[in-house]
Amino acid sequence: MQYQEYTQSENNFEECTKCTICTAYCPVMQVNPLYPGPKQAGPDGERLRLRDPNFFDEALKYCLNCKRCEVVCPSEVRVADIIQSARIKYESNPPKVRDYLLSHTDTMGKLARPFAPVVNFATRQPLTKATMDFTLGIDKHRTFPSYSPHGFEGWLKRRRKEQAAFPEQVAYYHGCYVNYNYPKLGKDLVKVLNAMGIGVQLLEDEKCCGIALISNQFIKAATKNAQFNVEQLSKAVEKGLKVITTSSTCTLTMQEEYPNLLGVDNSAVRDSLLMATRFIYEKLEQGATLPFRPDFHKRVAYHTPCHMQRLGWGVFSQRLLQRIPGIEFTPLEQSCCGISGTYGFKKENYASSQAIGEPLFEQIRSVNPDVVACDCETCKWQIEMSTGYKVENPISILAEAISDKE
Amino acid sequence: MKSNEFDVIIIGGGITGAGTQRDCAMRGLRTLLVDRSDIATGATGRNHGLLHSGARYAVSDPESAQECIRENMILRRVAAHCIDESDGLFVTLPEDDLDYQKTFVQACRNAGIRADIIDPDLARRLEPSVNPDIIGAVRVPDCSVDPFRLCAANMLDAKLHGGQVRLHTEVTGILREGNTVKGIRTHNRNTGEDQEFYAPIVVNAGGVWGQELAQMAGIKVGMFPAKGSLLIFAHRVNNMVINRCRKPSNADILVPGDTVCIVGTTSSRIPLEECRNVAVTPDEVTLLITEGMKLAPRLASTRILRAYAGVRPLVSADDDPSGRNISRGIVCLDHETRDGVKGLITITGGKLTSYRLMAEMATDLVCKKLGVDKACETAVLPLPGSEEGSYEEVAKKIWENPTTAQKVAAARMGSRVSRIRSTDRRDEALICECEQVTMGEINAAIDRLEASTLTDLRRRTRVGMGTCQGEFCACRAAGLLAKAHGCIEKERADIDYFLQERWKGNFPIGWGDTLREAEYTQWVYKHVLGI
Amino acid sequence: MRYDTVIVGGGLAGLTAGISLQKAGKSTAIVSTGQNALYFFSGCFDSIQEPTPEIKSLFSEAGIRVHYTPGVRLMPMGTFKESALALEDVSLFPTPQFGKKVLIINFMAYHDFFSSFLAQGLEKQGMECRIRFLNLGDLAQPELGPNQMRAVQIARKLDDVWEKVVQEVRVLLKDEDTVVLPQVFGLNDASIPERIRQGIPARVVFAGTLPPSVPGIRTQMLLKKRYEVLGGTYLLGDRVTGAHVYEDVVQNVVTKQLDRHYLEADHFILASGSFFSKGLSSNPFKIYEPLFELDMDYDPDRNTWYDPTFANHQPYLGFGVKTDAQLRPSRGGVPVKNLYVIGSILGETHPELGSGAGLAIRSALKAAQLITGQP
Repeated sequence: MQYQEYTQSENNFEECTKCTICTAYCPVMQVNPLYPGPKQAGPDGERLRLRDPNFFDEALKYCLNCKRCEVVCPSEVRVADIIQSARIKYESNPPKVRDYLLSHTDTMGKLARPFAPVVNFATRQPLTKATMDFTLGIDKHRTFPSYSPHGFEGWLKRRRKEQAAFPEQVAYYHGCYVNYNYPKLGKDLVKVLNAMGIGVQLLEDEKCCGIALISNQFIKAATKNAQFNVEQLSKAVEKGLKVITTSSTCTLTMQEEYPNLLGVDNSAVRDSLLMATRFIYEKLEQGATLPFRPDFHKRVAYHTPCHMQRLGWGVFSQRLLQRIPGIEFTPLEQSCCGISGTYGFKKENYASSQAIGEPLFEQIRSVNPDVVACDCETCKWQIEMSTGYKVENPISILAEAISDKE
Repeated sequence: MKSNEFDVIIIGGGITGAGTQRDCAMRGLRTLLVDRSDIATGATGRNHGLLHSGARYAVSDPESAQECIRENMILRRVAAHCIDESDGLFVTLPEDDLDYQKTFVQACRNAGIRADIIDPDLARRLEPSVNPDIIGAVRVPDCSVDPFRLCAANMLDAKLHGGQVRLHTEVTGILREGNTVKGIRTHNRNTGEDQEFYAPIVVNAGGVWGQELAQMAGIKVGMFPAKGSLLIFAHRVNNMVINRCRKPSNADILVPGDTVCIVGTTSSRIPLEECRNVAVTPDEVTLLITEGMKLAPRLASTRILRAYAGVRPLVSADDDPSGRNISRGIVCLDHETRDGVKGLITITGGKLTSYRLMAEMATDLVCKKLGVDKACETAVLPLPGSEEGSYEEVAKKIWENPTTAQKVAAARMGSRVSRIRSTDRRDEALICECEQVTMGEINAAIDRLEASTLTDLRRRTRVGMGTCQGEFCACRAAGLLAKAHGCIEKERADIDYFLQERWKGNFPIGWGDTLREAEYTQWVYKHVLGI
Repeated sequence: MRYDTVIVGGGLAGLTAGISLQKAGKSTAIVSTGQNALYFFSGCFDSIQEPTPEIKSLFSEAGIRVHYTPGVRLMPMGTFKESALALEDVSLFPTPQFGKKVLIINFMAYHDFFSSFLAQGLEKQGMECRIRFLNLGDLAQPELGPNQMRAVQIARKLDDVWEKVVQEVRVLLKDEDTVVLPQVFGLNDASIPERIRQGIPARVVFAGTLPPSVPGIRTQMLLKKRYEVLGGTYLLGDRVTGAHVYEDVVQNVVTKQLDRHYLEADHFILASGSFFSKGLSSNPFKIYEPLFELDMDYDPDRNTWYDPTFANHQPYLGFGVKTDAQLRPSRGGVPVKNLYVIGSILGETHPELGSGAGLAIRSALKAAQLITGQP
């Protein structure tokens, strides 16, 4: 009889050799004395919680879910997944109104967008900020990302015919940010893909990926979104389409958190869901070309968002940027910016959030680039707010580097 | 009375000795307990940690079964903080005879043990790790018990009642004047000091070594040493005790114990000379895993933490070569009536579950001989740590929002956890991260629980019992011991001993993640720390 | 993606090979599952005697400060070990009697630095010791939690305020000729240990702590940075899960994150480490190399894998992938043409290349030479 040929445990928690490497890389442990750190909150804690679920520690809420512990773990322990799963299973404190507002990004987007100018104006006023700080616990230093009065979905729908004319087609999961806050990124993607002879379609429908719901403990809602999105993605995949994304966090959520944290099977769509930079890089490698402008010049520093690092796809964004003629490229040492989605918006996390990001901000200041490239929207807010440097998705930089339609 | 004179001397710091000392001390006797090493180093600390409901013995040994269920119910009350009221299942596999279930349940009921036949589906829901192929299941009131904690609590209570404890003190002779035992001669293995202690009654609670001790008094007690090997899995796979519903056999019990679970045992007769150095053989490891997998298939792919073996202190009664059909019955020998030697009592046999009853029987005899008329209260008065409610309530009383480490400490120490309440956050520093043992808890064990070595500390606090088996905590804890005892030289040797002792349990199952961990430990100690 | 060489494993061996190849104008990628054994590096390059010019330039170009002083070094538990080549942090002495009076500095509530054991070890050598504790909370705010008092966390705090430590030590110093400090300095700035030495009017000795090792992490960061500056691609947090081998030639490797996007190359280097890093796997029945299923040099009888005495040499640590003199492995007896095996996955099968850090560096340089065809 064969036995013990291999050992397995949930999220590999038993593969932890207690080497403590994760604790050396946890950004929260560095700034928050109350956080027990990834090793204790993760694999160590898991053993104890299996003994008695009441051993759960509320301090696990301080985990950013940046997943750096998983990236550096030599034993492939899914430390952050252990922590987030434990929060899902055992956390008892009901979420606050504030958490609801922050996490239901698409509901908020739908509500706010028709009144975009008013909302944008209001959320920038010191009085509103102070009120939100006091009543909701949303830190007053934060500025809400502004809502765009015209959504991306509408814009692309109006161009349906024109897009359908391209010989090759992809579907685009744009996410809340592109639709409600920053349609320009979506438009940039369409420009780049069109220049390669590829038309862009919307999915039949999509919902927020659900990451903010997960981190704010709205698990039922997150699971619903996940099931809905997987269904929508499947429809596109069945048509033979690749689904392209521009947000590393949405992508990681759909790739990893759906099956690992929410138990939603995404195996049918997983391979067809790609970050745009990977998709474009692979196309170029296969011989596709882009009409680069000869006069383009920019000093770009690339920040690998934590979730991009976890996806392992930062290399595609980097190599793609390096291919642009006229780019002076500096990779930044991987370091968390501290925002981690809604985490940094919460008053109780503001100080930690800024302290975590400081080494990265310092790096950016010393490189002094024209623009910081980064595949994540929340990193963008954080870095722009904290350093004053402009941050763009690599796709937007690419769009700027190619000639407008001849 | 002089400081080296007592009413009763108890030899052996196992659960029987500790329990007997507590009982004697509670009846107002001046007591001394000595052990050549630490508490719970023999059979007490080398078993499943199963608090029997008695079901296992119901068919073969109804008397033991009745004892077990009575004691089980008593200990749930008086030793609550040492016990996990997990309940147990007796499962029938397709290869087992389902008819046995009827015999089994009837025998349980006859012994007064609640035994409910439940639907296999319900059993699978109650205990998801159980073999899904089971065709029958009976639920019984088995529990798991931490024998170290239980032993330490008894010792502590004896001390609180004025008892003295001398550990690492070996008995080198039984002092006899004619046909009367007068006391013991001892050698302190820490200090090297030789000393004599006197008492009208000496209780031999030496377990399997009781034969040697009796011999020192010129008396023959024939022990029947039976080795049992067990495996510890690195985390809890099951939350209920899982037994096979058939005639007791090898490796047919899986017990959840604190953060781990334990499968066992094997059984083989060994010569007395080998008792001090039993090792688990590769064949036993194979047997334990393959049989264990039948109880819970996940054991096939669950990391194993260590292998260990103990020796059952059974008194030989018949010629059964397996040692399994022997009654686990309690043997209390009054050597005055048996051998004509006054002042010596041997208490042995029995089992962890019935230790309190054994102690009561021995103490009753001691009291009778000393003419003390005081009733036994150990079935009523809780052990230190078990006086208050659940650990959650205990922890909440002390800390507004207890951390994991504080809750874990409360679960281990019960109400005694209030001793480690501190205004200095530095006391919260974790020394052992796997088992979450803080500096405060370790210092409390050093101060109050007679811990003088790392292995002593391990038994009292679980330091070094976790997944990494003392990778970092051995040195950290050694630092605290060195500080408390002011002897650094000794602590260095103590670390070496501790590491060797951990490795002894590791290498028989040295593969997979355990081997990765072992390699890391080698690097840390040999290359980084230079030990 | 296509490279000249793809290296599996990003520890000391993999990075050394990567740097050498990049310097020789080759394009390389390193796939590293998490961080590696440099994180518990003692600071001494065991088994290297006088470094070759090549090794010297490897370190100096990466900004790693080393010195070659054959002698002994002070170990964290107060013993001494023979060493020759070490990071600048690590002092090497001709004999263990390096001073007369020693001031040992520790931090309050820091349990990973063994000042009392150090003192005992030094006293054995005839030195007089005094231990004093600093309160880290007085030096840097916000204070670390009781469970955050670990080497790296302390080092991060001290990178900004190490001068305060120098001031405190100067106040505490009486007539001692030596000060022993824990190795918690200079995580991000390799020059700090030397500057501390200059600031204290006594001999300064840095003694090791429990892992993670601050000098080790610094060394890893500097090597990785050097590799990336040379244009190397370091894929952290990914794992090579498979390989395509046709006609004894590795065509490409497959990684967990890049999945269908294979990494193709002319040459491959296997530097995946020993058991700890999962370069080697084991179960009750065998010890094996899981990625390519390479032939192993070991005894299949499990009873021979261990020595029951912890302190003795453990046979399993000697097992490794079987290779020829060119570090090329075989599968089922057939050599693989474009694969080189380096570092601790070799076990003790190449004693001529040394052990530990020495084996990692020497085998890496050798593989790089074989690939570039340069001596």
